[in-house]
Amino acid sequence: MAKEIIDGQTMTRALTRITYEIIERNKGIEDLVLVGIKTRGVFVAHRIESRLKQLENISIPVAELDITPYRDDKTHEEKDISNVKTQPLDIDINNKHIILTDDVLYTGRTIRAAMDALMSAGRPKKISLAVLVDRGHRELPIRADFVGKNIPTSQKEKIKVSMKEIDGEDKIEIE
Amino acid sequence: MKRYLILEDGTVFPGEGFGSSIITTGQLVISNNRTGIEQSVTDPNAEGQIIAFTIPSVGSSGINRDFYESINSQCKGVVIGSSSISTVDNSVSFEDWITSLRIPGIKNVDIRALSRHIAEHGEMKASIMDTHDEHAIDQIKALVLPPDLVKRVSTRQSYPNPNMGRKIVIVDLGLKYSILRQLSYRDCNSVIVNYNSTAKEIENLHPDGIIYSNGPGNPQDLPNVIKSIQVLQKKYPILGIGLGNLLIALANDCQIEKLTTPHHESSLAVKEVASGKIDFVNHNHSYTLDQKYIGSSDFIVTNICVADGTIEGIRHEYLPIMGVLFEPEAAPGPTDGYYVFDEFIDLIDSVKQQEGAGSQWN
Repeated sequence: MAKEIIDGQTMTRALTRITYEIIERNKGIEDLVLVGIKTRGVFVAHRIESRLKQLENISIPVAELDITPYRDDKTHEEKDISNVKTQPLDIDINNKHIILTDDVLYTGRTIRAAMDALMSAGRPKKISLAVLVDRGHRELPIRADFVGKNIPTSQKEKIKVSMKEIDGEDKIEIE
Repeated sequence: MKRYLILEDGTVFPGEGFGSSIITTGQLVISNNRTGIEQSVTDPNAEGQIIAFTIPSVGSSGINRDFYESINSQCKGVVIGSSSISTVDNSVSFEDWITSLRIPGIKNVDIRALSRHIAEHGEMKASIMDTHDEHAIDQIKALVLPPDLVKRVSTRQSYPNPNMGRKIVIVDLGLKYSILRQLSYRDCNSVIVNYNSTAKEIENLHPDGIIYSNGPGNPQDLPNVIKSIQVLQKKYPILGIGLGNLLIALANDCQIEKLTTPHHESSLAVKEVASGKIDFVNHNHSYTLDQKYIGSSDFIVTNICVADGTIEGIRHEYLPIMGVLFEPEAAPGPTDGYYVFDEFIDLIDSVKQQEGAGSQWN
């Protein structure tokens, strides 16, 4: 049975706090680019962007990243990068500070794939990672810079993030 | 017994005395609080103030002994239209309670006319007296309100509020007990110190974070506190509430101004700038930050009052400093503001985590 562990209000507060931390740790947010990993990472990126705009009155670019071609559980043919038709990003990321956003950080494999995708699109100055939930059980040496909520889990459990834009309401459930 | 409320500008409001029969003088404050009257009267912010409650039937929501905000009441007097006994419990009646606290009160005052008069002419001194002749008016005009309000309400000796969590030092500028209640709820191990404690004395307590509490009066009367903030803010996460927030702003080259319509209301809407979220919170302040200076400072505005655009919350751009002008601990009022304490604890944890991560950041 799914149990709600984080409600909409707490999620809103976590996103606001991540925004404050991004401002605090980056003296000036001019060269920032937010890159959201599809699907819910994009919404996280947009919400952080709107908060930054409200607070600092600067609009920073948001890009969507589809990591499917870069996943490590693909077969060899599927993985062939030359088959990727579209450019993964529609903005210039060279020499930018990228804040990669996703909803849940688990094994770290998605983030590795995302970094591959980013590197193939340019050479960013720096990549930071912001996630709504860190549930542990990493399989790669990856660590988030901005964490909304640490939720210790067992590997048997499932974390389900719902966001208003796609699921109609904000909540995080465990089952 | 017939008594008079005399304002600084010579306006006289007749009424009937109750409570203590002494002659009293103080800053007249119009409070629109509907409930939690006992919290307003025992609030150390009320030091040197005569509080006029605009609601009818003051006391109908009861006098709850669990909600006192200090041991001794600091309020100089109360002005009400009418009072009634509690309709929610069989607690003591408002008038009997005021009598037991030995506070002078005056009732059957035309409270709406008084409230309008103050709204038009600004906050002023007032006196509750037995006569209203020329001499009495001259006396109140000549009276200078003492500037050492904080000195009178701050604890003289440090005391602990022990628990097992993060260590918080609270600089008592007129601390409301509800701040301690909120910290206890979050397992904070706190020490409350006198307002004049030096930066060195506070450092010796090795805090994880420092709170500058709410309090009465003008922050410019407290240069020592400003100096200690300037030293401590480079080393520790700081939360300022009310007067504490104004002091933090002054320590960082911001200016303050007096509000034309002071905020004394238990439930006033405040918007969180980042998310657009509206919170209803308790306000009790006559000063605010000057908008002209905030832009060039290192602060970002995090909260604004919906009604008049007043700055209600700030956060430093790169130091772990945050402040709110409203009262997040409520008491009285809705509990929407409690999240400020959670946010401060998150701030403390994030600073600790960064220290642990060493040179990871920039």
